[in-house]
Amino acid sequence: MFALTDLHLEGFRLLSPEITLVTVSLVILVMDLLGRGRNMTAIALVSLGGLALTAFQLVAAFNDQPATAFGLVAVDKFGNFFKLFTCGALAVVIFFVMSDRREKSTHIGEYYFLLLGAGIGIFFMVGTNNLLLLVLGLELLSLSSYSLAGFHKGEKRSAEAAMKYIVFGGLSAGVMVYGVSLLYGLTGTLNLKVMAGVAGAVGEGHTVSLAAAVTDSPGAVAAAMVLILGGFSYKISVAPFHFWAPDVYEGAPTPVTTFLAVASKAAGFGALLRFIGVLFMSPGTQEAVAAYGLQVGQLVAVLAAVTMTIGNLAALRQESVKRMLAYSSVAHAGYILVGVVAMDKAGFDAAMLYLAAYYFMNLGAFGFLLYFHGVTGKETFESLNGMGYRAPLISISMVVFLISLTGLPPSVGFYGKMTLIYAAWDKGINWLIICLLINSVISLFYYVRVAKHLFLMKPSEETAQPQPAMTGFLVAMAGLTVVFGLWATPLLEWTSSSMDLLAAR
Amino acid sequence: MPETTSTILTWITFIPFIGMVAVLCAPKQNLSLIKGICGIATFIPLVLATQVYFGSFQKGTSEFQLVHFAEWIPLMKINYHVGIDGLSLPLVWLTTLLLFIAIPASESVPRVSKGYYALLMLLEVGILGVFISLDYFLFYVFWEVMLLPMYFLIGIWGGPRREYAAIKFFLYTLAGSVLMLVAVIAMRLDTGTFSIPELVRIGGEGGFTGPALLGMKFTTWVFWFLYVAFAIKIPAFPFHTWLPDAHVEAPTPISVILAGILLKLGGYGLIRACFPIVPDAFTTFAFTLGVIGVIAIVYGAYVALGQSDFKKMVAYSSVSHMGFVLLGMAALTEWGMNGAALQMFNHGTSSAACFLVVGVIYDRAHHRDLNAFGGIAQSMPRYWALSTVAFFASLGLPGMAGFVSEFMTLVGSFQSADTRFQILVLISCVGVVLTAAYILWALQRVFLGPLNEKYKDYKDITAREVFSLAPLLILCILLGVAPFLLLDWMDSSIVQLMRQLGSSI
Repeated sequence: MFALTDLHLEGFRLLSPEITLVTVSLVILVMDLLGRGRNMTAIALVSLGGLALTAFQLVAAFNDQPATAFGLVAVDKFGNFFKLFTCGALAVVIFFVMSDRREKSTHIGEYYFLLLGAGIGIFFMVGTNNLLLLVLGLELLSLSSYSLAGFHKGEKRSAEAAMKYIVFGGLSAGVMVYGVSLLYGLTGTLNLKVMAGVAGAVGEGHTVSLAAAVTDSPGAVAAAMVLILGGFSYKISVAPFHFWAPDVYEGAPTPVTTFLAVASKAAGFGALLRFIGVLFMSPGTQEAVAAYGLQVGQLVAVLAAVTMTIGNLAALRQESVKRMLAYSSVAHAGYILVGVVAMDKAGFDAAMLYLAAYYFMNLGAFGFLLYFHGVTGKETFESLNGMGYRAPLISISMVVFLISLTGLPPSVGFYGKMTLIYAAWDKGINWLIICLLINSVISLFYYVRVAKHLFLMKPSEETAQPQPAMTGFLVAMAGLTVVFGLWATPLLEWTSSSMDLLAAR
Repeated sequence: MPETTSTILTWITFIPFIGMVAVLCAPKQNLSLIKGICGIATFIPLVLATQVYFGSFQKGTSEFQLVHFAEWIPLMKINYHVGIDGLSLPLVWLTTLLLFIAIPASESVPRVSKGYYALLMLLEVGILGVFISLDYFLFYVFWEVMLLPMYFLIGIWGGPRREYAAIKFFLYTLAGSVLMLVAVIAMRLDTGTFSIPELVRIGGEGGFTGPALLGMKFTTWVFWFLYVAFAIKIPAFPFHTWLPDAHVEAPTPISVILAGILLKLGGYGLIRACFPIVPDAFTTFAFTLGVIGVIAIVYGAYVALGQSDFKKMVAYSSVSHMGFVLLGMAALTEWGMNGAALQMFNHGTSSAACFLVVGVIYDRAHHRDLNAFGGIAQSMPRYWALSTVAFFASLGLPGMAGFVSEFMTLVGSFQSADTRFQILVLISCVGVVLTAAYILWALQRVFLGPLNEKYKDYKDITAREVFSLAPLLILCILLGVAPFLLLDWMDSSIVQLMRQLGSSI
């Protein structure tokens, strides 16, 4: 006989943001069915309202002690950071869908439902120390993303993007699950804390810590680590699992691209940071496990260096701004990994700060892209020619985002890059820093190209229709990019206090 | 923690920023209003700087004065810390003067618009900020703030190959500043401070314990990283190749600022934020720097001799003249150092005047081919007289400013404890002869000889052009006969600098 206990109630209370999000997404689905595609604005507003409510609940729970709901869902500041991030990103994506002039689909309700569904996946993915739930959350996110990528059914590019995404996604999910199952077989648990051998964290049945597994069967542990990192690499588009990214980013509707590049990627990083952080750097992780983590870190270092270089070199040659941004987001994944490589709190702080910076500058850049795609119907560099004089506010905002993406002061991207360098330097990973800096200089080439086409080239005949909402949004984002670039203290404090997973060293 | 004694430097620096905001708010058709705003926003800093120069600044002390200190990002120990001493004050004053002059000189820039003036104001903020910063982080931020306005000013309002020149300038400087960033972060992590005076103190005591890089010990590679960052700006051989391109393509007022002040940032950076921080490395490599300086002197002059483009000739003469700065510093004698500091100021006035002169004729003839002119002295006698003064100042005619500083530099180098410098002085005398040759030859080709019919009806130099040119020419003559107007102010700081560099004075 099932009965609600206090423990259950406490669990529901802890999960209230997730519950809100699920409820809202169901409401949207019903509204869509009843309205038959007539009440699009209402659906959008309900989605936004739901996100606002979720965010409000998250903020209200901000200072709560870390807790676990139903033994599976970890509610802590770290998860809170990524959940708020997701809410913010989703709200912007919904705003993009609303202002996308080319979006004439009659299935908008499903669009929003899928977005919120992906959001729910992210919530569980970043909020658990259990590998099974992590994989489930990741799959929910992926499945929603596949449908979103192919949302323009009639368009060949969109369909192709969805197909590529599914094939790659399916393969990577399989790889990752195989890695997880290996770990489970070796240690007898799916709980990261138990694996880490944290005193007091007890699993069910017979479990051993990773340390014992490493001594018994090092090959299997190594294989598991490589496979799991492979799965994460796909989600955060890290080489050699990045091949899907440019095609999918280019083919998918721009709001969906924004979602994939910002929210989905941040979620992947959230799960990766939690996986590595809890497993190797929890307070009380066994020495042997922590030492093994440093070896994993070296693998990540190679991935970081390769990813940023490949992303940047490929971005140099692109003719489409959207594809350039896709490759640049691959390169940024490489930068953020530098923080993971540092394998300490400073490094993880830096990675999170960079993600926060990434939020402002990338949402801005994609908003810019959406606007110009709507105006010119094209995405090439040439189509931007002289637009700086037609839509000055939007173009100046874009220049701010470009400065930030390059990592120049006074912009929030500069702090991201600087804290990453800080963390890596402290650990003596100098070669990676040099690689990062060379890549920053390379990236200037293609970022400045946008500015060049906007301001230095002769204008074409087309005129830019004003779009006050988008202009306001972009100016606000650019403003925040600069304000946080001059006064980074609030962001620094937030990211630093959100990193509550790790042992203080 | 340093005490705030005055906020005047902050005002001097940020009044142009207020000007920029005002310009952006002004209606874009009303250019005369915009020019008026810029005139005021550059005139007030000039007045304030003059007041500081003759009023509040105390001669005879090497302490930093008019210090303004505030915490900026406490989490990372970054402070807003500004102040001046005898080394920075003349350059601050020169900056305010040249920017003030640049406003009327901008009249002749084709397609000049609101954006141009806004960027000019932002440029002034960046330059002044670098000269007054005493916190390395702040220094870096201002250093980068200059980049973007300069890119657009050359790239939008420049000559036919403006895009190439602008991106070349941008990339060279960014490559240098990336090196600077590594060195700054390394020093910060080693010593826990960004404060330049503090770093100088620690460096003087040999307090750095940081790691080796690329097989060089800490102080050595920090020295070279910082040196390259600043040498690119000077520009010292072999990093000078961006300069002729940037100068030739830039509109006249931008060339004036580029030659007059931006190049000084390199020299200033070396004596403020490179040599005294790593004095050991500096003394080890002083001779190498001397050789680099002499190469610039001779090579710059030799290449200038071969130019048929009037502006390119002046650009290469800048390379040559800035070589004296490096040579004087490297000699490590009081005369040499005084000469170098003086040469920076004098080159700021004389080269700025030369570029204005070139601009005057270019506005009329729309070409700069030295061989196509001839006999202009007959149609434009007043212009001829003023040009002769400017070019003789650049040549280093006794009684003019350039003579004093070059003479001091050469004598100082000759006195150097390292006798190899005597050979360098002999070689650089070749450069002096070549300088006389290319300047006299250019004057002859432009002004003397039979009057080319095409130039018969040219209007003589206008009042507006004289207004820009006159202050610079007065300074060239004044400092030629009364160099103490500068030397007295700089003296204590130079003595202090020599002490920091381990000289026995």
